[in-house]
Amino acid sequence: MAVSELAHGTKAGVSARNGNVDAARLSIFALVAALALLPLLAGGFLLYSLSLCFANALAVLSVSMLVRYGGEVSIGHSFFVALGAYAVAIVEHRLGLSIAVSLPLAVLLGAIAGFVFAFPSRRLSGIYLAVATMALALALPEILIGFEKFTGGFEGLYIAQDLIPGISKALQRYYVALVLLVVVCLALSHFRKSAQGLALLMAQAQPRAAEAMGITRSWARVSIFTLSAALASLAGAMTGFASSTVSPNSFTFFSGVFLLVGSVVSLNRLSLPAALVGGAFITLVPTYLAKAGDWVPILYGVALIVVTLAANAGDLRRFLPRRRGR
Amino acid sequence: MMATIGSGLVAEGISLGFGGLQVLSDVSLTLKPGVITGLIGPNGAGKTSLFNCLTGLYHGQRGHSSFAGTPLDGMGPAQRAACGITRSFQNLAMCPELSLLENVLVGLTLKRRSGWFSAFVPTPAQQAEREDTERRAMAALSELGIASAAHHKPSDLPPGTLRLAEIARAIASEPRAILLDEPAAGLNAVETRDLMRALKRLMRPDLVLLVVEHDMDLIMELCEHIYVLNFGRMIANGTPAEIRAHPDVIRVYLGDDADD
Repeated sequence: MAVSELAHGTKAGVSARNGNVDAARLSIFALVAALALLPLLAGGFLLYSLSLCFANALAVLSVSMLVRYGGEVSIGHSFFVALGAYAVAIVEHRLGLSIAVSLPLAVLLGAIAGFVFAFPSRRLSGIYLAVATMALALALPEILIGFEKFTGGFEGLYIAQDLIPGISKALQRYYVALVLLVVVCLALSHFRKSAQGLALLMAQAQPRAAEAMGITRSWARVSIFTLSAALASLAGAMTGFASSTVSPNSFTFFSGVFLLVGSVVSLNRLSLPAALVGGAFITLVPTYLAKAGDWVPILYGVALIVVTLAANAGDLRRFLPRRRGR
Repeated sequence: MMATIGSGLVAEGISLGFGGLQVLSDVSLTLKPGVITGLIGPNGAGKTSLFNCLTGLYHGQRGHSSFAGTPLDGMGPAQRAACGITRSFQNLAMCPELSLLENVLVGLTLKRRSGWFSAFVPTPAQQAEREDTERRAMAALSELGIASAAHHKPSDLPPGTLRLAEIARAIASEPRAILLDEPAAGLNAVETRDLMRALKRLMRPDLVLLVVEHDMDLIMELCEHIYVLNFGRMIANGTPAEIRAHPDVIRVYLGDDADD
């Protein structure tokens, strides 16, 4: 196992493999400890960027989850991310409540929206599903601007409420996002061993065999998309909280593409280090590439074509180093 | 003809065609509980097509099937699985990402009760259920003598072991009917003997067991009742002794040998 998954005990019985798993757990624990202590040394822009990076890591995980358990590619996950972010902002503006209330609500809304999208598209797969999700991403800016009364139109909305009163805003953003990211990674590692996780992997690898065991393809497609959309919405809520603002600028068509690119950069893995790599990629690259101007869409476009074609042919994973450990 | 009520898995007058090609013509068979039934026929006789009609992967243009009195017409594979019918696949159908034990655990999906919450958050109930299903999956692997391979990936194991694991997965859920599609394909002589022993051992009075094979010797030794399919028609059925003496079967199976 190259980048070891968070707490993925394989019960290998082989002591060497167990040793690897222990070492992996230890290094992830060290990584979390280092991130937890970082605010003692650093502050300001670095902490702000890292909070955004954690939130984006969650969004990348939502796309990777769909790829790993559903074998599907979504270009439109920015829709669900935006849903979560706007849920937080609108709940604060209309009801004056903090993310303590709006975060669970965002997850619920994401799940509902995911289900509503997935159910009619449950017979679509590969490039067809990817194109259907693209419709979501294309419609999103229009929806945000069209419902100006709620969304604040072009200007967007501010998110000002703290979760824990008395702690500085920078530290809140940082720690809330970090804790959520760690919790989600732990939940995903537990999911890999659950009955539903195993069933989804089987439905993806051997759809006919899975069907003979009572696992229908529609069930698999609808469930994984719903879960993935709920996670994307959670990530969106965190993005809003970490950046203190939501606006249509953050949710263009290209944000969906970029999430997918982030997922590919993290090799579609669901571990904490992989998620951080993907999150860092989509947080930092736009900042540094801002000077490249016209090249940015071209980069996205090339990445999109490669990913969609490769994933549709089911060949994406063949290009990646084989992970025997899981 | 009326379908026999309440006795095993019954197919009546199944016809299946793809375009202009008639694959099955008016085929009937009755799989009685407590009897190991064999289905043989030369390559292209329609064995797998009939098998797929029984498991719900294909639907015959004509004919009816029922299981223990429940009509199966129109049911897909997942619904038939819920009725207690399980199958193995001729081409090994293992998920490469899962260990052998996990591949068998998937066979128990319908038996599991834990909800979505416990899929993400460990709960005592889910933990207990997982231990219970793992115990059952290990028992199934032990029954076929491959428990030592439980924690390996399918890619690290020989086809013989995977074949046995498929059967372990089929029996783990304690089904009421097991349909095996060429279970001995790719097995060596020792593995085939182990397989036959295991199949005889797992036979129960209330279990429907169908073995589809083209290996005549295996079927003759294992099965108590045999159906013979040729060019999509059922040409004979009976005990191994009757089948051995049946003129049509001799012509289909031994005709070439007699000429030599």
